[in-house]
Amino acid sequence: MDFIIAKYNYWIYIILMMIGFYAMIAKNNLIKKIIGMNIFQTAIILFFVSIAYKKGDATLPILTYADAHGAHAIRAAQYMNPLPHVLMLTAIVVSIATLGVALAIAIMMYKKYHTLEEDEILKAIK
Amino acid sequence: MILEQAPILIVVIPLMSAIVTPLLGWWKRDLCYPWVILSLLFSTLCSVIVLNTVMHDGVIHYYLGGWLPPWGIEYVVDHLNAMMLVLVSGSSLLVAVYSRKSLETELPDRIVYFYTLFLLQVTGFLGIVITGDLFNLFVFLEIAALSGYALIATGEDGAPLASFRYLILGTVGACFYLLGVGYLYMITGSLNMADLAEILPGLYDSKVVLVAFSFFMVGIALKMALFPLHMWLPDAYTKAPSVASALIAPLMTKIAVYVMIRIMFTVFRPYFSIELLPVTKIMLYAGIMAIFVGAVMALAQKDFKRMLCYVVIAEVGYMVGGVGIANAVAIKGAILHIMNDVVMTLGLFAVAGILTYKMKNHEIVAFKHIFKKMPFTMAAFLVVALSVIGVPPTCGFFSKWYLIQGSVMAGNWTFVVALLFSSLVNIVLFFRIIETGYYDFDPAGSEHTHEENIVVNEAPLSMLIPTFVVAVAIILIGLYNQSILINIIQFAVPKL
Amino acid sequence: MKTVGLIVSMIVGAFLIYGTMDMPDWGDPNSPASLHVSPRYIMNTETETATPNIVTAVLADYRGYDTLGETVVIFTAGMACVLLLRRRNKFKKNRG
Repeated sequence: MDFIIAKYNYWIYIILMMIGFYAMIAKNNLIKKIIGMNIFQTAIILFFVSIAYKKGDATLPILTYADAHGAHAIRAAQYMNPLPHVLMLTAIVVSIATLGVALAIAIMMYKKYHTLEEDEILKAIK
Repeated sequence: MILEQAPILIVVIPLMSAIVTPLLGWWKRDLCYPWVILSLLFSTLCSVIVLNTVMHDGVIHYYLGGWLPPWGIEYVVDHLNAMMLVLVSGSSLLVAVYSRKSLETELPDRIVYFYTLFLLQVTGFLGIVITGDLFNLFVFLEIAALSGYALIATGEDGAPLASFRYLILGTVGACFYLLGVGYLYMITGSLNMADLAEILPGLYDSKVVLVAFSFFMVGIALKMALFPLHMWLPDAYTKAPSVASALIAPLMTKIAVYVMIRIMFTVFRPYFSIELLPVTKIMLYAGIMAIFVGAVMALAQKDFKRMLCYVVIAEVGYMVGGVGIANAVAIKGAILHIMNDVVMTLGLFAVAGILTYKMKNHEIVAFKHIFKKMPFTMAAFLVVALSVIGVPPTCGFFSKWYLIQGSVMAGNWTFVVALLFSSLVNIVLFFRIIETGYYDFDPAGSEHTHEENIVVNEAPLSMLIPTFVVAVAIILIGLYNQSILINIIQFAVPKL
Repeated sequence: MKTVGLIVSMIVGAFLIYGTMDMPDWGDPNSPASLHVSPRYIMNTETETATPNIVTAVLADYRGYDTLGETVVIFTAGMACVLLLRRRNKFKKNRG
C-alpha cells in the first residue's frame, strides 16, 4: 500500500497515457486519434513535472527577495527542480505544433473526401 | 576564428536561411532555388571542414552559450557524427539542385513554402546528428518530423492519409523517446550523453534504466521503420512528391539508425547493450525478418517507388542486423552500410523522380523504351542497381562483404542466408525494370514500327547531373572504401 | 483493431508500471534528479544570470539553444499549415 501511495502520481500518468495510446491505435475517426495523441503527450508532460516536485519546504523556482540579495545561502531543497519545467515548456510547444500539423492534414482530407472516418477515406482513395 | 564556429554553423545556416526563404519568395519567387542551394552549399562546406578537423585533431566539443556540459547543451562531433554530417548535408545539397524541374511540374504554386520546409527538414536532420544532448536531440527530431509530415502530405492522391498515419506513429515514436529521456533524467539527473555514460554503469540493474532503454529502442525503431513497425513507410514515401521522397527516404531511416548506435554505444556502454540484455539478439532477428519481408514484399509490387520503399525496409534490416551481430567487423560493415545506403537510396529515388517527371507515372508497366528514351538516366540507374545488388567495384559490395564476414565470425548463418537471399531478390527486381524498359512486349504492334518512333527524350540537366554525381560517388566510395574505413569508420566503431 | 489496441496499450502500461518499482518516491527531495544538475541552477542563477526566476534563466540562458529549437518548431508548424492549406488561385492559373 505504501508502495502505491509513494508513487501514485506516476501510476496516474501511466493510466492517462494508455488512454491516449489506445485512442491513437483503435479509433477510426481522425479527430479522435488526434485527441488521443494530445492526451498521450499531456501525460508525458505530467510525468516530467512530477519529477520536479520536492516534498518539504520546497516552493516555486523563483528566488525570494532575501535569497536573491544574498541574505543567506540558498539550499537546493528550498526550491523545486527547475529543469523539468523548462523541458516541458519546450515539449508543450512541440505537442501544440504537432497538433496543428495534424489538424491541417485532417482539414486537407476533409476538403477532399468530405469525411473524417479512416475507412471511408481509404475507400475513396481506391 | 570562423573555423571554430563551424559545428554550429552547419545547423544554423540552413535554419536561418529557412526563415529568410518565405520573405525572399514573396519578393521574387525564382530566388528561392539559388538561395536554398547557396545555404546548403555553405552548410556542406562547414561539415567538410568539421570532418577534416575531426580527422586531424580528434573529437570536437562545442559548448553552446559557453555553458559547460552537464548544465548547458554541447555539440560533440566524433568520427561517426562527422561522417553523417557530410552525408546529410551533401545529399540534401544534391537533392536541392535536383529539385527545380520536378517541383515546377508537381507543385507549381507552392514552391516557396516547399523550399522553406525543405531547409527546415535538413536543419532537423543535421541537429539530430550533431548534438550531444538527449533533449536537444528530441527537439530537432520533432523539427525534422513535422516538416517531413508536411512535405509528404503535399503529394499525390492519398498522400494526406499516408502522412497522417506517419504522423500518428512518428509522434508515438518521438514520445517514447521523450519518455526514455525522462526516465533516464529521473534516475540520474542529467541529460548530457557523455555525463550519462559516466553515471549509468552504477545503475544498470535498475528497472527504470531497463524501461528507459526499451522505450528508446522502440521509439527509434518506429522512426527507422524496422520490420514489425514499418507500416507507415511504403505509403508515405510512395505518395510523397518526388523531391520529398528523394530527400527523406535516404536520410530519415539512416539517421534513426545513427541515433540507435549512439544510444546503444555512447549513452549506454556496449557491455550493457550486448551482454546484460538480449537486445542484440532481438535486433538480429528483427533485422533478418526485415530483410526477408522487405525482399518478398518488394517482389510483389507493381509500382516502382513502392518497390523501392520495400528495398529501403530491407536495407534497414541490414544495418540493424549488423549492429545486432555485435562484433567489430559487423558493426564496421553496418556503419559503412549507413554511408552506402544513403548514397544508393538517394540514387534510386532520384531516378524514380526523373521517371515520374518524364512519364507522369511511377508504375513499372509505364516504363517502356526508357533505355532508348533516356540512356543517361538509365546508365546511372544501372550503376545504382548494381550497387544495391552488391557487385564488386560499387560500394554496396563492400559493406555487404563486411556484414557477411562479421556474421560468419559470429557463427550466425541465418543472417548470411538473409543477405544472400536479399541480393538475389534485388537481381530479380532490377532485372524486371530492365526487361520492361529494354525489350518491347507490346502485343498490338510489331517491333519495327515502334522503334522508329522512339526519340531520345532525356531528363533536364539539373536533374541529370545530381543523379550522375550519385552514380560516380557510388563507384568512388567503392574504390576508396579502404581509406574511408581506415581514416573514419575505424574510429567510429565502439570499443567492444 | 480495437482488441489489438487494447492488448498493446495494456502491455505497454504494465511495462511502465514495472518500471515504477525502482523509481525514487514521488516528491523525494533526495532523488537523483534533484541532486545532480539542478542544484547548480538553483544556487548560481542569481550570480551567473542575475534573474530571480530560475525557470526563465535555464530556459533562456543555460539551455537557450533548446528554446531556439522550440521557436523553430512553431515556425515549422506555421509553414506546414501554410503549405498544406493555402488555396490555389485558379483564376490566376487560367489567365497564365
